[in-house]
Amino acid sequence: MGTNVANHASHDDQRTRVAVVGTLAEFHREPIPYNLGALVQLVSELRPDLLCLDLTPEKWQRGDFDGLPPEYREALLPLSHQTDIVVVPIAGQHPPAEPSGEGWRGRAIAVLRRWLAYLQRTAPNPAAVVEGPRHHLADLLYEAMAWLAGPETYRAWKAHTDYLSRQVLEVARRDPGRRILVAVNLRHCHHIRPTLARHPGIRVVPYTQL
Amino acid sequence: MPGTMADTHLVIFAHAALHREAWRALLSGQPGIRLAGAAGDLAAVTSFLPAGQPGAVLVDQSPPRPDLVRRLKAAVSDCGLLLLVNTYDLGEVIPLLQAGATGCISRDSPVGDLARGIIAAGRGEIVLPPPIAGRALAALARGESVGEPGAGSVADLVEPLSDREAEVLRLLAQGLTNKDMAQTLILSVRTVEAHLRSIYGKLGARSRTEAALWAVKHGHGLPE
Repeated sequence: MGTNVANHASHDDQRTRVAVVGTLAEFHREPIPYNLGALVQLVSELRPDLLCLDLTPEKWQRGDFDGLPPEYREALLPLSHQTDIVVVPIAGQHPPAEPSGEGWRGRAIAVLRRWLAYLQRTAPNPAAVVEGPRHHLADLLYEAMAWLAGPETYRAWKAHTDYLSRQVLEVARRDPGRRILVAVNLRHCHHIRPTLARHPGIRVVPYTQL
Repeated sequence: MPGTMADTHLVIFAHAALHREAWRALLSGQPGIRLAGAAGDLAAVTSFLPAGQPGAVLVDQSPPRPDLVRRLKAAVSDCGLLLLVNTYDLGEVIPLLQAGATGCISRDSPVGDLARGIIAAGRGEIVLPPPIAGRALAALARGESVGEPGAGSVADLVEPLSDREAEVLRLLAQGLTNKDMAQTLILSVRTVEAHLRSIYGKLGARSRTEAALWAVKHGHGLPE
């Protein structure tokens, strides 16, 4: 029994550890209420080997960070530049457009978007967005927005999330046994985590246990 | 957090007290760097660096002199020596590398680049902008002052390099740091380090510089 437990622990240690954290990164024009230094501190202490970001390889290679959310532009990218954290751009070439709609659907989406912006504006720290009630509520609002925008938008976002998951899996396959932090818009978290967890070589952990 | 990288212990070497304080203020909060001390004389430098930890000395002397580098290298042989320079003039840089400098960084560099250079120097990596590093390595390879690894050519290797190792060796010969190689290949720095250890073993190289010079001499530094 004891040996089995030891073997299991040893097997666990060899698996690629992945933590998926959510951001409200869509609102790159919204002021971030908390100090981004807190996010830098958090990721700096985690010191992942690889940091997967929802960013296209083309933008990454061009160093074109102007349109990126402040969490990326002002916190995670400068941190990775000066440390050993390797950035992995995992977005596809054509990320889907934000959900939108005509008539009452469009108005409803606009209201939900204001709620999301409020959730971001009132977040006291990065951890409040990464987990907890605010995180789950924002996820529900995103889900509702995609649903309101119609099946095509819904499918496009689902496909984007699937693409991100596949890219993370590919990274884990190429460089097994490393510590990977995935920092993406929180609407993807609840789909990426179970997809990754189904793979025997990957152990999905809370970010605090990375 | 198992397996995280150790911080690089940094000692600042500058004659002027104000310069030392300025560097201390600038670098003390940088991720991955632990400021071990600041000194204006050689004897104090050694006392600040803990044994068995990656360490680097940032040398602020204008212009940097090879004789000082030699004395520093003799005092702290396990540490990386990173020198601040006004320009990347090969006529200035190569004597410094030959004297034992790990790398040079321009005084015009952003703080992020400096922090990154300190971490790389702490691991004994050549710190220079890649085009300059490639030319410096080519110039050093033409000289006779650096030792040769055991293997004479690729065909002489007892165990051939894997495709990935050949790729890493090419980037090494171009003067990239481990982080730059890792970012280029989208692999972790640890994986690149593992490939480098394997490469050193296969080449019979005793150091990174030996392996890099071997690669340059055998044409591995050419772009694909």
